[in-house]
Amino acid sequence: MAGQSDPHLSLFSSAEVEFLAEDETVEIVPNMKMDALNFLCGDYGPFYPQITTEVPLWLAVALKKRGKCTIRPPQWMSVEKLTQVLEAERDSPREFQPLPFHYVEISRLLFDQCQFLFIDNSARDDIPDMYMVRSLIEDIRNVRFHKVETGLETISARTHAVKLKNLSAMEVNIVRPFVVRTLQAFYKHDSPQMIQHPDRMANRQPQVADRGPRRDLRRR
Amino acid sequence: MKGRLLKLKEAHKNNGVSSFCSILWDLQAQHLVTSSAADSTLSIHDLSHTSKPPKILSHHKDGVTALALSPNSTCLASGSVDHSVKLYKFPGGEFQTNVTRFTLPIRALAFNKSGSLLAAAGDDEGIKLINTIDGSISRVLKGHKGPVTGLSFDPNSEYLASVDSIGTVIYWGLCSGEIIHTLKGVAPDLYSEDSVLNILSWSPDGEILAVPGLKNDVVMYDRDTAQKQFSLRGDHRQSICFLSWSPNGKYIATSGLDRQVLIWDVDRREDIDRQKFDDIICCMAWKPIGNALAVIDVMGRFGVLESTIPLSMKSPTDGASSLRSKNSNGLLLFDEEDQVPDISGTSSDIGEDNFGESEPVSRKRLRKKTEFDDNLDENTNDHGALLPMVEVRKKGSLNHKEMLIDKNDNLGFRTATTSQRLKMQESFQPGSTTVQAGKRHFLCYNMIGCITTIEHDGYSHIEVDFHDSGTGPRVPAMTDYFGFTMASLNENGSVFGNQCKGDKNMSTLMYRPFSSWENNSEWSMRFEAEEVKVVALGTGWVAAVTNLNFLRIFTEGGLQKHVLSINGPVVTAAGFKDELAIVNHASHCLPSNDQMLEFKIFKIYDATQSFCGPLPLTPGSCLTWLGFSEEGQLSSYDSKGVLRVFTNQYGGSWLPIFSSSKEKESEKNYWVVGLNTSKLFCVVCESPDTFPPVTPKPVLTLLNLSIPLASSDLGAGDLENEFMLNNLYLSQILKRIDEMSASGFDTTLLDDEAFNIEAALDKCILRLIAACCNGDKLVRATELVKLLSLDKSVRGAIKLVTALKLPILAERFNGVLEERLLNETRGTVGNQNPTSGTAFAHVAHKALPAADQFPSPLFSKHDKEEVPAKVGGEKKKTDSVVDMGSMKNEAHQVNLHRPSNPFATNQERQERATAGRQKMETDGVVGPGKTKDGENQVMFHRPSNLFAKASSIDEEKAQEKAKVGGQIESNSVDGIGQVQFHRPSNPFAKASTNQEGKQSLLDSIKKMKKVDTLGKR
Repeated sequence: MAGQSDPHLSLFSSAEVEFLAEDETVEIVPNMKMDALNFLCGDYGPFYPQITTEVPLWLAVALKKRGKCTIRPPQWMSVEKLTQVLEAERDSPREFQPLPFHYVEISRLLFDQCQFLFIDNSARDDIPDMYMVRSLIEDIRNVRFHKVETGLETISARTHAVKLKNLSAMEVNIVRPFVVRTLQAFYKHDSPQMIQHPDRMANRQPQVADRGPRRDLRRR
Repeated sequence: MKGRLLKLKEAHKNNGVSSFCSILWDLQAQHLVTSSAADSTLSIHDLSHTSKPPKILSHHKDGVTALALSPNSTCLASGSVDHSVKLYKFPGGEFQTNVTRFTLPIRALAFNKSGSLLAAAGDDEGIKLINTIDGSISRVLKGHKGPVTGLSFDPNSEYLASVDSIGTVIYWGLCSGEIIHTLKGVAPDLYSEDSVLNILSWSPDGEILAVPGLKNDVVMYDRDTAQKQFSLRGDHRQSICFLSWSPNGKYIATSGLDRQVLIWDVDRREDIDRQKFDDIICCMAWKPIGNALAVIDVMGRFGVLESTIPLSMKSPTDGASSLRSKNSNGLLLFDEEDQVPDISGTSSDIGEDNFGESEPVSRKRLRKKTEFDDNLDENTNDHGALLPMVEVRKKGSLNHKEMLIDKNDNLGFRTATTSQRLKMQESFQPGSTTVQAGKRHFLCYNMIGCITTIEHDGYSHIEVDFHDSGTGPRVPAMTDYFGFTMASLNENGSVFGNQCKGDKNMSTLMYRPFSSWENNSEWSMRFEAEEVKVVALGTGWVAAVTNLNFLRIFTEGGLQKHVLSINGPVVTAAGFKDELAIVNHASHCLPSNDQMLEFKIFKIYDATQSFCGPLPLTPGSCLTWLGFSEEGQLSSYDSKGVLRVFTNQYGGSWLPIFSSSKEKESEKNYWVVGLNTSKLFCVVCESPDTFPPVTPKPVLTLLNLSIPLASSDLGAGDLENEFMLNNLYLSQILKRIDEMSASGFDTTLLDDEAFNIEAALDKCILRLIAACCNGDKLVRATELVKLLSLDKSVRGAIKLVTALKLPILAERFNGVLEERLLNETRGTVGNQNPTSGTAFAHVAHKALPAADQFPSPLFSKHDKEEVPAKVGGEKKKTDSVVDMGSMKNEAHQVNLHRPSNPFATNQERQERATAGRQKMETDGVVGPGKTKDGENQVMFHRPSNLFAKASSIDEEKAQEKAKVGGQIESNSVDGIGQVQFHRPSNPFAKASTNQEGKQSLLDSIKKMKKVDTLGKR
């Protein structure tokens, strides 16, 4: 797929998407006492040892790095839940299961930043859980992306819009440039007078429309 | 068994067509019953007389597909391709009745444990549950999409499991008839096979359901959750088509389409033996007594595999469940005595009825068995063991599941268990968990940290962890050679104790401070012929209670300071700062199984006992936690999930402030760790766990305290709860303020807190008033208004009811306000502070005799506009006199703001007020009595302090005034203080419009006063 191989075609880099995902909240169990933190984005805390509280992911990761808390894996990140989701994803080829919008990024952050997250939270013999969760998420991602791909194959000259429900941030980020350009290309080839249209749209959405047509021109 | 070739004997002629055959034993292993789907007859083979030809029953018109024998072996059921289910007497074989008919062939039959229900199913869509007493169909269970080929009643009579030929397993609840679990596609799809059927079977103890799996294995499912537990996978190369549990549930025999029979050891999950056959074995049955397995293949040939289980292993019937003893003659119809059928018996009664008669039956059976011993020499051992085993099982099941147990039959057991339950509860350490082999457990878990221990190679390893890793000291792990079994922890140190094990190990008490200027500051005490039962820790002291009922108190440094005797065996103890609480048994348990406990609270520093009394518990429960809240209130939690906190109200009583049964998640158990005034800190454990494991680290959950209130018609339970909790909290704070001011500490912080609570309480009351108004409970609303502590709140209430268009109520509220203002200026309300008691009322009256020198204004009109004027007038009068003792006056007036006694009705108060007035009139004394002043001064130290603060806030105004008045007068400040007591931090943003009115009121009062003071000068 075009958008996948070339990172420059993505409107956001994956790091940027990850950055956006850091605003999602997670539950942490602090191991220190601290007053509430007042940030621009909101007030978090106060923090009491062994009592769960909800903070944004970036704060959780920062605290975790300093050894001040343990992060509780979100509800959906359990083996059972993910197995269910995976099965449902496989069973229904035309729809996506509802997962957190940033599930790819959240899971990645939690796995990368907090390698010992699952060791902290469960007994040592539960480590297989972590690998299991990781591979399940990987599988879910693959299944979903495959679905997106097969879905995009059906785009034709008659397609005016593509509706994908429950698509997550990372997934949409990957396919967005491709879809937009495809649709534009179809418009263009379909009726020459419609070419103007996306151009006019371009004023409103400079990033999207701007990049697409120009690259087309260059490539030709 | 390997290598042996079993010669099978033909029982049914299948004419070379493979078809499903069935085989089963009777209870005494005397007979074998066989049938074949290709043969319309069924045969009863008498094994004691092998020479005799089998008894042939040929009542069916077509092949017999299913057989079932009632558990007491008196009734045989057969199902057939001819759509009928027939019942016969057994072992005679007399045909009894066509118990039901289907529209399609029958495939499976099963009796329940008591024999009162027969389940029949087949190609029809429903499973029929037939009441065997009157032959009525008690239920039809529909839900399978394919022919039902296997049925199995749970031995504990709770569920029926069924499997169909396309591999779906369904758990049915027998009481409800509803589907509990559906497992789709778990069993192999044998739809196309006609010679074999899908099967499933409960283990004899009913804990596991065995179903053939898709991977040529047997999958075991949990009884209640239907979760896969494990699977037996081995040498079967094709799907398993039949399985049978050995009578003791230790082994399982499986036969596969690959013509093998495997015997498995279920506990070890491996196959022990295998046997190959020429044809598929489609049915097997374990011999109920002995070590043999009867098999029948699809060609209708049967045989008995003797000594199936190698002799080196446990016999398959060893420890068999008392299947037989529990069964009974529920089948009155086929009772050997040929009793008249019980007409009234319905399926639901049977369960109870049949137990009633189980005693004679089992006796009869035993007699039979002894007869049998002579004939059957192979299993004498098992026989001998059977009777005690039966009893053991019964006891086990009684404890395990609350089964229907007849009084006659099990009276002995019941009394035994109750006497056991009546035991006085053991001593325990709050926040400890029970010892689990190979796992860490908590010796102590509280809001500060935890102490865990694990035994390893004879030594224990103790770790002390603080929840707050930032500030708590780091304590190195300790190898414990004593084997400490109890511990307690606070910020300063930890104390450990162990019980004596044998003669060598003396009971030891050890204290380890966390930080001390001395290097070797830990100390230990040893007790000769005495055993430490409970330890507790406070600031600067350590307490241990021993089995000799001694309470030993040590100082932090290890000085033995006190040894006291306590009244009874100790249950538990808890320490907090200088307070020590001890709970001990007051007497033996009541016959109603209630523990009789009493508690004592000691103050260690001044060596006093501040309270003692009986400790209340929920009926039938025992104490599981004792501790102090963060504010220092003693609290207890019992095994029924009720949290109580000790208060000084009503002369010291316990208030229930949390009940786990009122929580939404009733499946959870709450393991209490601590509490504060509004929250309970606990660890939530999934039932049936009652305490958390050490790893993963338990996470505290905050639960709101909720007094178990009756559900009122108001529908504002939350508000009422908040109201009561706030009242409780306020009373606690006021008590502490009194204590502190009595000992001369600064109470400013507490005063602020008290004020905040008052504000919150008022807010809550206002919302309650709104709820009352909406619910048309006007009297209640009026009562509530009188409980408001701030004048501003009363005005807010008036506004509220005006907005709600309740003029009557508004007028009443105005009356309340007038009265309140009047009383305020007179200072004669007295007794509003619940902590100060009635004595104060008189003191107050006498201290302020000035008020009655002047005629009290007549409140004939309840006119709002007149209030300021009147108040002003009133003020004038008081002010002029108050000069002498203005400070006291202030004290009283500020005190008026305390919430009035919530249970004192308005009438009472009025009476009191008038009484006071009368008294003053009769007194007619001018000038305050000096001695009483002294008392008052101590008592109202706090309020005056509060006032000082209020006045400082109003300093600006006072100075302004000073300019006007030319001089600052003590009573001018006083005046402001009296009226403008309200803090600027106004919690009633909504009522802010009121301030204008109030402001003007204030101004008018001020003006009046200025005029007054100027005039006086």
